[in-house]
This record gives sequence, structure tokens and C-alpha cells, in this order.
Amino acid sequence: MPNQLTPQHFFRRRRIQLTVILLILIGIYWLSMALVNFQTMTALTQVPAGLIWLFKNFIPTERSLSYLSAISFQLWRTLLIAIASTICAGLFSLFFAILGAKPTAPAPYWHLVIRLGASLVRIIPVVAWSMILLFSFKQSDFTGFLALFFMTLGYLTRAFTETIEDLDPDKLSALRAVGATYTQCVFCGVLPEVATTLTSWLLYMIENNLRDATLVGILTGTGIGFLFNYYFKSFRYDAAGLIVLLIAILVITLELTSTKIRKAIA
Amino acid sequence: MLKVIGLDKSYNRQKQSLKSVSFTAKPGEVTAIIGPSGAGKTTILRSVNQLIRDDAGQILLDDTDIRQAKPAELRQIRHHIGMIFQNYNLIGPLTALENVLHGRLGAKSTLAGILGLYSTAEKNEALELLKAVGLGDFALQRCDQLSGGQQQRVGIARALMQHPKMILCDEPIASLDPKSTKLVMDILRELAQSKQLIILINLHQLEIAQTYADHIVGINQGTIVYEGPQRALTPEKLQAIYRQAPTKEVSAHA
Repeated sequence: MPNQLTPQHFFRRRRIQLTVILLILIGIYWLSMALVNFQTMTALTQVPAGLIWLFKNFIPTERSLSYLSAISFQLWRTLLIAIASTICAGLFSLFFAILGAKPTAPAPYWHLVIRLGASLVRIIPVVAWSMILLFSFKQSDFTGFLALFFMTLGYLTRAFTETIEDLDPDKLSALRAVGATYTQCVFCGVLPEVATTLTSWLLYMIENNLRDATLVGILTGTGIGFLFNYYFKSFRYDAAGLIVLLIAILVITLELTSTKIRKAIA
Repeated sequence: MLKVIGLDKSYNRQKQSLKSVSFTAKPGEVTAIIGPSGAGKTTILRSVNQLIRDDAGQILLDDTDIRQAKPAELRQIRHHIGMIFQNYNLIGPLTALENVLHGRLGAKSTLAGILGLYSTAEKNEALELLKAVGLGDFALQRCDQLSGGQQQRVGIARALMQHPKMILCDEPIASLDPKSTKLVMDILRELAQSKQLIILINLHQLEIAQTYADHIVGINQGTIVYEGPQRALTPEKLQAIYRQAPTKEVSAHA
């Protein structure tokens, strides 16, 4: 038999394959580094020095605590904007997902329209959304809210649509067989089935949006991002470091809470 | 009385799934549709309540043609036809009681249905039905935590909540163990007799059909090859029902 391999042959061939793949990866790295004039050795020696400088300057000191009230006020606002934009976008996404998901779409072409729309919204990165919206809505919290809203809308519509499409369509047939209307099928069948998965997505997006809100804030000049940018540019690195630290604490707290909520509702 | 006359259905141009299918099913009897897989059993059953739209024919339930019904009328007709499935098709995260109450959706306004506004009488009836199928203690359990046999009995209770004239059963025992199979089939036979229901049931287990059915409809490749009482089912007729297509044709389709 020509395709019969002995175990020894098989493992030797497997080793050769892995070696070739590894060599190709190293080759690609070396080529790209050469093209951008990046010197691996110099970088390696400079990274520790850079990190030490970072730690020296960005570690919050006693002096930075005087900024605490201003920082926590902006952090609170940013958190609220992240939550508000996620929940708002979540509601719209649910509506679009029901119209767009194959088992619940009122007509087949809705599926295509919604999917295309969600993709269009999603391919514009949140940074671009912020810049575009800045022209129309000026430097305000609302601009940040909208930027996060559109990004979340595109993302969640896609996620919700796929969640609904994972549902066994026969479950809906059972409700139709009972004589339920379309709306009853959606509310009594689809929503109870997908509720926990949808909640998980919402919680995940809130975490995600809090991080993104910082970046959006830098661009739109609002919230914690603005404050970070402001301290940073006025050389108050310790205060900027305090902001990073507080954001990290908030994100971790948020993650722990949402893990707990997810376990409770599963 | 359910009368199906000359039902045709094809899913694509090459192959006709149902060829002029006619049979009757009487109240108080268990009517079993038997035949090899792919013969068209599920297509027939799902045409009866128009979950599948067929191409031609008549489906008369007490002399009303279901095929001619307008959407609102169809909803009312469906309300009085219960249906149970191989995969139970309950809403898993909801309780058994809520799933049984879904049997009332066809009689409710859209708004009352989506808000879950059920009367005390309806809730009591649902609980009684769960007790009748032996699940009184499980009324407030999530359905996805129940065993297959228990879920199928919740499915039967949901069908009964519709005050049905007829219950359609699409391979109701295909996923069940022998003990649950007996329990479910006993309930269905008892219902046919005590409530004078039409029980129309798809089965691929011949022994079960022979034990429980009063009336047998045998189908092979979309054509009815036998219809008559269970007693009159001879080995020759069984052979005609389960006759395999010639090998040549199978390989041509594969």
C-alpha cells in the first residue's frame, strides 16, 4: 500500500513539517524587520531603560492624590457613558437582529439588508467614528456616546443575529403550530431562549466600551480620556499614571462583577 | 374526522415527495403513518397543519379545508391541532408550566400572549394537565433540566392545553428509552379513546405501530401503498411498505 506509513516515518515527517514552518516564521520576521530598519538587539537593550523611565515618572505619588476627586468624577461619567451607550445600542441591535436573523426575518431580503448595514457600521473603527462625529456634534459627551453607540451597534447586531440563528428553528415551528402570531413567537420563544447569551454579550461590551471610552475621550476631548491627555501634555505624568491605575482597577472590578452575573443567570 | 385527498408536494423539480396522497383518520383512533426514512412521513404530517405548504390536494378537518384557510383562520385551526415532536421543541429556559401555557397562545391577543397574561383558570388547568401526565412536582422546573421522557410529556400537556380535536405526533418516541416510550404511547392511546381525539402519528418503529395503532397508513417513496386496520397488515403488505428502491436508482441520486 503506497499511503501506508510506519509510525517512525510519520513522526519524522511531522518533525520536518514543524521545522519548516518555524523557519518560515523566522524568515518573515527577519524580512519585515530588515524592511523597516528595526534592530532587534538595540530594541532589546533599550526596552528595560524605557520601562524604568516609565515607572519612575508614572508611579502616582502623594501629590497625585490631590487629583483624585477630579479623576474619579470623570471616571464615573465615562463609566456611565459606556453603560448607557452599550444598553442603548443593545436595544437597537436586538430589534435589528430579530429582523435580520434567518429564522425570524419577516422576508428573506431583510437578512441581507441588516447584515450589510451592520458590516458597514462595523468596518468604520471607533477612532474614525469619533473624528467624523466630532464635526457634527462638537466636543461633548454626546459625541463620545454616539461613537461608542455606532461601534457597539454594528458589533452587537452581528453577535445577536448569530445567536438567534443558532437557535433550533423547529422550536419556532412548534409555537407556530400552536397558533402563535409572529410577535408571540419572538417574545415567547426566541427571547427566552437567547436571553442569557444576549446578557453575556452586553456585559462583555460594557467592559470593552469602558476601555474604548478612554480612547474616544482623548479624541473627542471628553471624559477620562480628555483628563489623561490633559495631564499627560502638561507633564503631570504621575496624575496620568493614577488614571491608568484607576481604569485598570475599574475594568477588573467590572470583569469580576460580570463573571458573577453571568454565573448567576446561566 | 381528518380526510386528506390527493396531496402533492415536491421540494425540487427532479423529485416529487408526495404523489397524490389520500387517507383518513378517525376520532378515537390512533392512526400511524409508517414507511422507510425519506418516504415522506414528516412532509405529510407537517402539511396537515400547514407548517409545510404543499402543492395541491385537499386537507379536510371536519369538512373545513385547511389549505384554503386565510392566515387568521389558519391560526384558529392550528389552535385546535396539538403537535408533539421528536426533539420536544419546548422553550428550554422556561418552566414546564410556562411551556404548557403556550398552548393558549392561539386563543390570545398578541399583546396578552407576549405579556404572559394568563387567567387563574388557565394556570390551574395547565397545572392539572401536568399532574395528569405525572409531572405535577416538576411544574416550576426549567424544561431543559427535565429528562427526554419528561419533556415529551410536557409537550403532550402543551398540546392538550389547546383543547385539540387532533394531535399530530412527529416521531414522538424516536429519542426515548423503552420505558418512556411505553409511558408516552400509553398516554396517547388513552387520550384517543377518552377524549375522542384524532391521533396521527409518524413512526419508524414497526413494533410500536403494531402494538398501539388502530389504523395504519403505509407509505413508500411518496405514495400510499397500504391503508387499513392494523389487524389486516399482512407480511406481504409490510414488504411493499418497506420495499427498498432499486440499487441502480439509489446510486444515480447519490
